[in-house]
Parts: sequence; structure tokens; C-alpha cells
Amino acid sequence: MTIEFSFGKKHLEMREGIRGLAKNVIRPQALQWDRDGGIPEDFLRNMARLAASMGSTAMTSGLGDAADGARASGEGDGERKKKLGGNLFSVIAAEELSWGDPGLLLCLPGPGLGGPPVRASGTPEQRKRFFSIFEGLHDDGIPLRWGAYGLTEPAAGSDVAGIRTTCRKDGQHWVLNGRKCYITNGARASWTVIFATIDPSLGRAGHRAFVVEKGTPGFAVGRIEEKMGLRASETAELVLEDCRVPEENLLGGEAQYVSKEGFMTAMKTFDNTRPLVGAMALGIGSAAYEYTCDFVKKNYVLGRPIPRYAALTERLARIGRSLEAARTLTWRAAWMADERMPNAKEASMSKALAGQAAIRACIEAIEICGAEGSIAKDHQLLEKWFRDIKVYDIFEGTGQIQRIVISKRLISDLKSF
Amino acid sequence: MISFQPTEDQKLMVESVAQFARTALRPKIRDFERARELPESVRRTAHELGLALVALPESVSGAGLGLTTAVLLEEEIAWGDPAAPFALGGPGAFGLAVVELGTEEQARSALAPFLGADAHSRFGAVAWGEKKPHPERAGFSTRATRHDDGWRLDGAKAYVLNADRAEHFVVFAQVEETPQDASAGWRGIGAFLVDRSAAGLTVTARATTLGLDAASFGGIELAGVVVPASARLAGGADFTAALVRFFTKNALLVAARGVGLSRAAFELTREYVDGRKAFGKPIGHFQAVAFTVADRAMDVDASRGLVWRAAAAWDALTKGEGSEKGALLLSAQAIAFTHEAAMRCGDDGVQLHGGAGFMRDYPVEKLMRDAKQLGLCGMTAEQADQLAAAITLGVPLDPGLVLPTPESQNAFV
Repeated sequence: MTIEFSFGKKHLEMREGIRGLAKNVIRPQALQWDRDGGIPEDFLRNMARLAASMGSTAMTSGLGDAADGARASGEGDGERKKKLGGNLFSVIAAEELSWGDPGLLLCLPGPGLGGPPVRASGTPEQRKRFFSIFEGLHDDGIPLRWGAYGLTEPAAGSDVAGIRTTCRKDGQHWVLNGRKCYITNGARASWTVIFATIDPSLGRAGHRAFVVEKGTPGFAVGRIEEKMGLRASETAELVLEDCRVPEENLLGGEAQYVSKEGFMTAMKTFDNTRPLVGAMALGIGSAAYEYTCDFVKKNYVLGRPIPRYAALTERLARIGRSLEAARTLTWRAAWMADERMPNAKEASMSKALAGQAAIRACIEAIEICGAEGSIAKDHQLLEKWFRDIKVYDIFEGTGQIQRIVISKRLISDLKSF
Repeated sequence: MISFQPTEDQKLMVESVAQFARTALRPKIRDFERARELPESVRRTAHELGLALVALPESVSGAGLGLTTAVLLEEEIAWGDPAAPFALGGPGAFGLAVVELGTEEQARSALAPFLGADAHSRFGAVAWGEKKPHPERAGFSTRATRHDDGWRLDGAKAYVLNADRAEHFVVFAQVEETPQDASAGWRGIGAFLVDRSAAGLTVTARATTLGLDAASFGGIELAGVVVPASARLAGGADFTAALVRFFTKNALLVAARGVGLSRAAFELTREYVDGRKAFGKPIGHFQAVAFTVADRAMDVDASRGLVWRAAAAWDALTKGEGSEKGALLLSAQAIAFTHEAAMRCGDDGVQLHGGAGFMRDYPVEKLMRDAKQLGLCGMTAEQADQLAAAITLGVPLDPGLVLPTPESQNAFV
């Protein structure tokens, strides 16, 4: 082991491959997908096929883990990831793909955010059952499938422990009642990991996680949200009214739920996904930063001693180094995960810094490019990135929540504020 | 490969230097500050740890351990006292300058005095800055003119670290063999080895500064100082490129000290907010305080990460990997980020200590002053940003644009 930051040939090739695809195929369509509020299934299938042909999770490991989750049926995840370059490679791939279009990444078929909790907490039988439906989804004739993750509620966002969706045992079933909101791919998902409580007064100890399958009686899609950005990605409300879920769909089985284990299921997901979300934010921020540098090169006579230029270059440099600093932290969090080191604090740091740096990059990009920068047209996506980026400091834990996670690990005896 | 894991050798070195910082530096920082120097015994111990020559290549009798090892150790020393790395004996910036700008032969002979048993009391210095811009043209006012086979130097240099301690200087001057040379501006500068014993060289008064009191900031005057032709450091094929490399590597080592300062301020503050109670609980249990601590923790980790990446980029370059532009860009980003982060850590350190922080009973007020002073050493954040932007935008690296100058913003070198 030594301190080093160079990519191997395989990683460089993969990275360049994704960058080329992002630039030549994804970006030219990104604005149209944003306006249409979705991405054609043919295209998504091609992406899934490409991922499979690359023989790795490269394309989809960002969030989807699609082709791969299917192949491995969720088994032996750790070894597989390590062999393929692991979490580190996932964050690098996610940044590149997001550089092309962040909406596409969220639309890719596969278990999505539902994958990690099933993988981490599901029984072998559950892992097999819920991952097998994604097998061969890149083949024609097999419908595309998604998984989803249902934690947030209208009255419980950051305060995860405060969820109000209830569950009670009734014979061989659990009966769920409540509403879940802001669920990525919620309407199209074949199954969604739903968090509910046996008794709100028990707090985290009362939490249970269920894999609720589409078509379960009492399980319905509510409204599809209209969002500021990431409009190509579907965000849905899910409604549970006396929804009867078979007991074998209780994630991990009853034994799992002693003390705080249920809550930990929800949180485990985030240690894995936060550096990825940070990397995705950096993809958008870097896209805006690079666009702005090119704009400045084309439109300014650089090197002239005009004060405005020094101010401009200073702003550009500030954006560049903030992005680079955050990138270093996403690499570190992912590297720690690959090395089996606990990384909750570092994962939160990477996302907190990346979200902020990328938002700053997108705001400054519009400011520096001026009026032209705010105009939406093909090959000029600054206004779209400005809309897309904001949520990266909100979903997967707001910037404030990240700081709670971090400070609890820095300050003695700090259980809660 | 990407890895954040130091080698076993590096871990051992870091641990011994950390112990030195913990036992010999930290408990004595106020003594060093009052004495405005490090005592001989401390300098001797540091020398025995082999700290002075870590980053210099073996070909010139350095330890050849590379910049990655160097930044790890610089952080530890500065954690003990941010002034210490500037006040320990050794060639310092002088060593980097002769390696980058001189031939191997020149570097080896210039560094020879720093290999002896008394090296802990020997200092080198770089005389770069000047108080005012030349009134009529770009470039320095200090001139080098032909004198027999050698050169004659006239002028005054300022903002020189260890000016009063150094026996050996690299002096930068405008080379004017003919009157036309004066129009060459920043591209017409040259570097010369000058000993303090040279006739016509005087050391000007040591300055009293905001922070880093144990370090020494001063200047020199040159009145008809004559040096042989062999004293000129030609900078290899491209003098400007060599100059930018020297400044950037030197400032990267300063940035590593900034990381140590940030970490020290962060740790002291974290301990304080754990113990200080208000409204019935530790003040760290209030979000406004805890989030500030979390932000500074991110500053420490992010600046260290950037410094490591920059240092690793230079070390990779010696193995033929990567590009010089890439290493320069990462260094510039690390330098600017670290300087600003250190200032935030010092500032918030005092802020979270409240009134106590303003008192000299606690070390944080020193760290806050040191942070601002340290940000003026090597290269300021503003200059590093200009360097980074010039690389990103493909603008030529004109020293007048990307290095500290009297026209833009001077820095202590």
C-alpha cells in the first residue's frame, strides 16, 4: 500500500468509453428527455445491453446495479465488487455518466436504491427472489424492470425515525397503512422496499422493512411529481391502504428486528450510496465548470490586464478546486468501503462537500456566462444543470443531515440534538 | 491504483515526527514565540530525525523520499507548531530552488554545507520579493550586469524567510547584459547563488509580523555584489518552467504545514466544545457549534487529500507518469484550498472558544495569526488561483501573472 492516485489502463479505458458515450450519445438527447419527462425504453434497454457487454457494473453501478444485481442474484456482493474495482470504480463511473445526464442514471433499470437494503438485510431466499426478476432485462422481449426505495413520507423526511406508515401482523400477512412520497421510479417499480412502524412510540425499534410488490392489494401509485430538475426521472407518491403484504416479504425475517436493526437497515443503504450521490453531483458540477471554461476561452481575450479577467479567473479557480477537493473525498469514502473500513463519517463528508461544490459550480456558471448561459438549447445545458443539481444537497440526506452524521462522530456523547 | 494508505516506512516516520511534535514542540510554542526562534536543542533533534533533506533527490545527497513523504512529515511538524517548519535548520526553499534551477553539479555543491554535523544551525534562503514595482517596466529593480567573467548584483530584496539566519542565498535579479534586456520584463530574470559573506551584501532589519514569530522574515541589500559565472542558475532548457516548478513545490510544502495548522486548530476546538458547558450542556451539543466543527473537519480532510494528490502527482512524474501541467494544477488547487481552510480553522477555533479564544492562555489565537501569516508564505491563495486558472484556460505561465510579484501581491519565500 502506498499513497497514490493513478488509474490503471482498464479503468482509464472504461472511463473514456463512458465519457465518449456521454458526450456523443447521451448529452445530445438530454434536453429532450427532460422536456418529455422520461427516456424511451429502447434507449434504456440499449444502455442495459451495453452494460452487460462491458461485463461489469460500470454503466449501471452508479445506482442501478442492474445487469449485475441480476447475474449475481445479490450474492457475494462484496467479493464481486472488489474484483471489479469496487466502490471506487462505481463512483468514477457514476460521475462520468452523470456528466452525460444525471436523469438517465436514475432511470436505468435495475433494483436501484432498493438493491442495497435487500442485499444487506435480505435472507438468501429473498435476495434470490427479488433480484432474479432483473435477469436478462437487456434482451428483447423481456420487460424492463425497476426496484425502488420507500422511506420518505409527507411528514417525515430527514427525521427518518418519525415515519408514520404503520404495519400490523394479521395471520400470514402484514397490513400496511400510510403514504410514501418522492419515490424514484416508484410508479414503475416491480417492488419497493417500504419502511413502516409497528408502533410510532417505539421510535426506531418499531421499524420494519418490507418488499412490497407491484399489484399487491391496497398498494397504489398516487401523484407523479413535477420537479425543478431531473425531470427525466420519475418521482412518485405511493399509497398503502390496508395493503396486505405476505410475511415472507418482511426483509430479513422477524429475527432481524431486535432493537434498532430496522433503522440500521435504512441507514446502511446510505453509507453505500452517499459517495455515489456525491460523485453524481460532481459529474454535473464538472460539466458546468468545463462548459464555463470553454465559454471563457472562446469569449474573452485572456492575459489582458483587465481587472474583470482576474476576478473571473479567480472564480473559475475556486470552482475547480472545490470540485477537486470533493472528488478526493468521494474517492476516499469509496476506497474505505473497498478496504472494509467503517466510512459513515467520510461518506457523509463526501456528499456534503460534493453537493455544495457542484451547486456553487452551476450557479457561478450561469453568472459567468451571463444572459446566454440561461438559455436552454441543445448543447447548451447550463440552465438544465442548474435545475438538476439542487436536489443533490437534499436527497440521500440533506447537507444538514450529513453534518449531524459527521458531528456525532466528532463530538463526545452526542446522541442527538 | 487509488489508495490513501501510507507505506509502513512512512507510517513509522510519521509516528516518530508526531512524537517529536507532541513532546518537543507543542508544549513549548509560547516559549518559541517569545524567543522568536527554536532553541538549538530542538533544532538538533529535528535534524537527527532527518527532516531537512527529505524531499531532495539522492543525486544531490538528499534523502530522495519524494514529496509525498515530505508532506506527511511537514503536516506533523506544523501540527506541533506551525512556525517550527520555517524555523528549523536546513536548506529549506533554497534547497528546492537549487535543485529545480541549477545543474546537478551546482545543486550538489550548494547543498554540501547542509550535510555536516552542524547542519541544524545552517540555513538557506531565497531572495525573490521586492518592496515596490519598478516604476517604468515589468520585472525586478534588482539588476545583474556583466562583471568580468561573472555578474554584479545591485538592488534590495524583501520578504525573505530566514534572511538573517541564512548563509546561502538564491537571489533573483533582472539580467541586463545590454540595455535592451530591460524590456524583457518577467521573462528576463535570472537566479544567482550568493553567500552572505559576499562583499556588498547586507541583511536588513528583521520584521515583526502578525504570526509565525519563531520564523524570521527580513530582507537583503546588494551593492555591487560580485559572483562568478558559475553562480548563475540557468534553469535547464526552460528557466520560466523551472521557476514555476520551484515556486509550486515550495508552496505545496507550505500547504502541507497549513494542513497541520488546520488539524491542530480543529482538534483543540473539538476538545474545547466537548468540555465547555452552557445552558446546561456541552456547547458541542448545539447544532450551530457542532456543524461548524463538522465543516472544519471537512476542511482538514479535504485539504490533506488535495495536498496528497498534488504530492503524489509530482512523485509519479519522476517515474514518467502523468504530466507536469497536471501536477502544477493539482498543487495550485491544494495550495489555495489549504490556505483558505487554515484561515477558517483558525478563525472558527477562536470563535468557538469565545472570549477565552482571544486570550493568550489558549493556543488558538496564535494559530489564527499563524494561519494568516502562513497563507502569505510561498504563494498566496490568490496567486495559486491565478496559476490554476492559467493552466485550465491555456494561458502561458508568465511569472508576472502566476507568481508573487511587487505588482500583484508579494509573498514570503
